Amino acid sequence: MFEKLVFQSLIGLSFSMYLWLLAAGLTLVFGVLGVLNFAHGSLFMLGAYATFTLYGKLGINFWLSIGLSLLGVGIVGAILERFFIRHIYDIDLAYQLILTFGFILIFDDLVKMIWGGVAMIPPIPSFFEGNLSILGRAFPIYNLFIIVAGLGVAVILWLILERTWWGRMIRASASDREMASAIGINIPILFTTVFVFAAMLAALGGALGTPVRVVAPGIGTAMIIQAFVITVIGGLGNLKGAFVGALIVGILTAFGILLFPVFELFIIFVVMAIVLMIKPEGLFGK
Amino acid sequence: MAKKITRRKFLKNAVVGGVALGTGLGGYRVTYGQAKKTASLIKIGGQGAISGAHADYGWQMMAGATLAIEQINAKGGIFGRKLELKFMDEELKPATAVKNVRYLVTDWGADFLFGIDSSGSAMAVGPVLPELDRLCFVTHGATHRLTEELVYQKGIKQIFRLVAPVYQDALAAWVFKDDPQIKRWAGINCDYEYGYVAWNLFKENIKKFRPDVEFVAAAWAPFWTMDFSSHVSAVMAEKPDAIFATPWAGEGVMLLRQALMLGVFDKIQAWWQGMGGSVDVLEGLSNEIAANKFKGNLWGTARYIHNWPDTPENKTFVEAFRKRWGRFPNYSAEGSYSTIYAIKAGSEKAKSIETLKVAAALEGMELKTPAGPRLIRKEDHQAVYAVPAGRAMKSPDYTIPILGDLKVIPAKDYFRNPPFTPVAATK
Repeated sequence: MFEKLVFQSLIGLSFSMYLWLLAAGLTLVFGVLGVLNFAHGSLFMLGAYATFTLYGKLGINFWLSIGLSLLGVGIVGAILERFFIRHIYDIDLAYQLILTFGFILIFDDLVKMIWGGVAMIPPIPSFFEGNLSILGRAFPIYNLFIIVAGLGVAVILWLILERTWWGRMIRASASDREMASAIGINIPILFTTVFVFAAMLAALGGALGTPVRVVAPGIGTAMIIQAFVITVIGGLGNLKGAFVGALIVGILTAFGILLFPVFELFIIFVVMAIVLMIKPEGLFGK
Repeated sequence: MAKKITRRKFLKNAVVGGVALGTGLGGYRVTYGQAKKTASLIKIGGQGAISGAHADYGWQMMAGATLAIEQINAKGGIFGRKLELKFMDEELKPATAVKNVRYLVTDWGADFLFGIDSSGSAMAVGPVLPELDRLCFVTHGATHRLTEELVYQKGIKQIFRLVAPVYQDALAAWVFKDDPQIKRWAGINCDYEYGYVAWNLFKENIKKFRPDVEFVAAAWAPFWTMDFSSHVSAVMAEKPDAIFATPWAGEGVMLLRQALMLGVFDKIQAWWQGMGGSVDVLEGLSNEIAANKFKGNLWGTARYIHNWPDTPENKTFVEAFRKRWGRFPNYSAEGSYSTIYAIKAGSEKAKSIETLKVAAALEGMELKTPAGPRLIRKEDHQAVYAVPAGRAMKSPDYTIPILGDLKVIPAKDYFRNPPFTPVAATK
């Protein structure tokens, strides 16, 4: 039983790290810009489509495809922020919802028009085909890679926010925008960079998923709901909370599937409900 | 100072957003076909999944129906009237399916309806058909309850199903009953009606043949599951001999790819992928099949496969479809193609397109179709015909993998017959 639980929690951990990639960008945008970006999942989807096209259709090197996809989605993010998101920073959350939801519809249909509606999957890169023996069972190299990637993103994010000038500006603007502006931080440009960075994180999630997940319109929507639940559990706008929230959701979902398979659909929402009852502001929220 | 966003506001808006996403408000409706304003046309309204991970099935329905309509129109149509098609996106949502059906009949003037991928949608559409006074030919939605309950028990004569229902998924019981070394079965199934019924029917039937069989684990995956590694891992923890899996289309491809990476095919003796013989699944896994990654242990069936039966009728259909569309037809294509011809046959026999007259004409009719002879049962309006099971493999005769080493079992052996004993539709 013990081995089963440990192995399942490792699988859950890889799921957690994948969710974290998506939740991180969402949290960053919410925490710093104060924007509830529903279309974050669409950026995830665009990253997946871009990598599928570059790697799967054009045969470009997998890692280069990811890099180019990040660049492309970063540009999309910059345009989104500069011309649209910028206008909804300080207005009612409902308007943010309407605008970003509108973008979900636009991107889903754009993707349908360009690539068609059928689900597609690229060939699997050969270096992801194998597995390692952990506790006598086969653990995919791919899942291990996702764990490392997620942890890597967490470390890099921490380093950026704590140790770089840009990170300091971000933290200042998140905590008091007026003051930050008063001391000379160019808020509009800073916010664009943050949004672009978050968009690239979303695209990274989408891109890294392509070896095992199909690209199809709407794949971002399925992920975004889970990302929101994580954000709420962790505390709105709190990166540490999002990381812990992702761990909880991923590992508990994996346990649920092993131990209570009949209830898989509800686990993530039950966890959210419990956290909200005990600590309504989220685990790390204020 | 940025406006303070309270947690309450966030949740309220997130819930609204989540509900909107869930119910699918808005969206670019991909529709096929143009409405023409001629009373002498016979209008055929269809719907299926044309977006998302299951999008190929709706496209295939549209493609198969279009081919049949073009062929029939080239020969003068039905009673000299040409056929016209309009195809809508069902989105795999019952509410959308019902809305589409109402639109097609009352706004667009459809004389006949067909399609529907989701069992849930089919069950929702069935009861509104008497009110709309139109026949609907379901060409995918597989729940037994459509025909056993709605037609047989409740007498909704307007429903017909020309494709094999969930009885087909349980064919695994017949395929593996004579393998004494396969005793421990695990299930990775869709967390909705199709998955529950397929698994329950399979368990019921294999137990009849093999009382020694055990069901060691079951995992349930809702729609839009993209990551099946937890499900596969949970099930493999119980060391099964074989796995019965129902996630279909793009989800099936993801599930199998993830299972490969988890080393499943080094451990199990067989994997039954219910709709593994469907074209999009075979295409999605063609590299892996060609490299024999599944070690010859990936079994499946479909509701029609392009390489069986080996008849001129089937060969002609497959060639015509490939010429028209550049792809192989899957079962929802063949089902829709045969449905259009069934509409023609029923109308011509009834000498009318009136709903109940055509229904009566179709009851008991045996149609010659690419999938073989189909008998439309009077009691439940279900077409009875056999589809074999086989191993996924590369073939020199086809550019996509096929199911080979076929096991052909007569339909009368595995189709349920009236009077129907109830089967649990829950997990």
